[in-house]
Amino acid sequence: MPHDTLFAEVTDPANRANPYPLYARLREKPVSRQSDGSYVVSTHAAIRSLIFDPRLSSEDLPPSQRPPTGNPFKDWIVNPIKNRVVNAHRPLIFRDPPDHDTLRGIVIEQFTIPRVRGVHREVEGIVGDLIDKVRGRSEICLVEDFSYPLPVMVICRLLGVPEEDEEQFQKWATVLATALEPDSRGDEKQRHATATAFDAISDYMRGLIREKRKNPADDMLSGLANPESGKPAMGDVDLIASAILLLVAGHETTVNLITNGMLTLIRHPQELERLREDPERAPRLIEELLRYEPPVHFRTRKALGDIDIAGITIPAGASIVLLFAAGNRDPARFTDPDRFDPDREDNQHFGFGGGLHYCLGAPLARIETEIALNALVRRLVAPRLLEDPPPYRPGASLRGPEKLGIGIERIA
Amino acid sequence: MTEPRKEPGAGPLRVVVDLNRCQGYAQCCYAAPEHFELRGHEVLFYDPTPPAGKQAEIARAVQACPVRAISFDMGSVS
Ligand code: HEM
Ligand code: SF4
Repeated sequence: MPHDTLFAEVTDPANRANPYPLYARLREKPVSRQSDGSYVVSTHAAIRSLIFDPRLSSEDLPPSQRPPTGNPFKDWIVNPIKNRVVNAHRPLIFRDPPDHDTLRGIVIEQFTIPRVRGVHREVEGIVGDLIDKVRGRSEICLVEDFSYPLPVMVICRLLGVPEEDEEQFQKWATVLATALEPDSRGDEKQRHATATAFDAISDYMRGLIREKRKNPADDMLSGLANPESGKPAMGDVDLIASAILLLVAGHETTVNLITNGMLTLIRHPQELERLREDPERAPRLIEELLRYEPPVHFRTRKALGDIDIAGITIPAGASIVLLFAAGNRDPARFTDPDRFDPDREDNQHFGFGGGLHYCLGAPLARIETEIALNALVRRLVAPRLLEDPPPYRPGASLRGPEKLGIGIERIA
Repeated sequence: MTEPRKEPGAGPLRVVVDLNRCQGYAQCCYAAPEHFELRGHEVLFYDPTPPAGKQAEIARAVQACPVRAISFDMGSVS
């Protein structure tokens, strides 16, 4: 296989279950030009140097100047339903400084330490309820029964979405899940469904913001909608975009981490046992999961100027793929990188990205995953995989099992 | 990156943050808010000698730091 078509292989769903051998071949060249003109960055050192490089842009052309990509998150302007002018609908994950930093700063203000840590008990409650629900069954689908509902419920509570609307949110989240997938295309029908969901959730958010202005509560949306005077604030369009981003960016990612976590633990029964015996192992184990089976395999950027790196020049305007999951398995950085080793020291992974766009929800994701995995290993008695490897969703960037069938003796 | 030595230290823990490495990601502040504080999104303040009982929390902060800027050990037993 020629080197310059390796990334096309990565995006081929046939290789979803085990893309790691392809990553190893890609790493033979730290930065490689692919036949489609993009540049794939695959070693730890090269990713690390580029992730801090201001010549890499997360920003696309203004939406109205962009050819449709098929990705509704980016194609809002060509929304086939209403086509309303939302050139301004540009979530901060797709923006550069200075706007990115301003918006991120405002959102981060709402991720207060008491609020994020305070979610602990709430998460424990939700996790307990979800496991109670499968009592009496000998087979479960971890994704459907557990991982999928959890993150949406948590972000709804934090944002301040009324509980009675959570179910509707769950449905929107499912439709919108592919919004951050760089390579999502989808047929006309799917685009239509996604655009409809975007419209509906935007209208809903607009209404909810109005409500939070009338009756502010102690939640993130109230905080964003009622900024203290003198502090930086964002307009309503950015506010809606940010709220949707928090839902979308924290959804499939967390689903993947929890699902990959159980999959990996069942494949490594000794580690599962050790975690059951000592829940304090969870924080390290989760960092190792973020390295070994990260929920986000790559993110794309654009070169703002010519960039010389690792013996080649990435020309201005080129599309750059930061292949985090390959850097995470780089033998030049990690000893025995293909081994799942929760005791690993110096585990500097790219599971949450790095630099300016480092995951804003990381502390929350860590809490959710820790509580989830600890409860699962404690309460699923004698778990075994019904199918290994499990079926994967088509996405190559947000990579994760579509289903994870687990057979159990009983629920403890 | 320094792992706590295993002997049960009676003295306080010793924490060092390499402030040249620190990028202000604030992950340590969520993990151990009593011992790490980011002021003005930029300057990290931390407690270099937290009490021995706080080991688990400090270990979490060490793990969570994306650039592995924090190291700690159990301090001297004497
Ligand atoms: C295990 C779960 C998660 C993983 C693996 C993950 C991973 C990532 C990664 C790799 C990025 C960097 C994107 C880039 O560089 O282009 C990112 C950004 C982001 N994440 Fe997460 N994420 C997770 C959970 C969450 C949660 C729960 C939330 C929200 C509550 C969230 C909100 C965000 C936001 C808003 C950004 C954009 C930050 C920016 O552009 O400055 N994430 N995430
Ligand atoms: S987590 Fe690490 S980089 Fe972030 S503030 Fe703490 S020490 Fe600095």
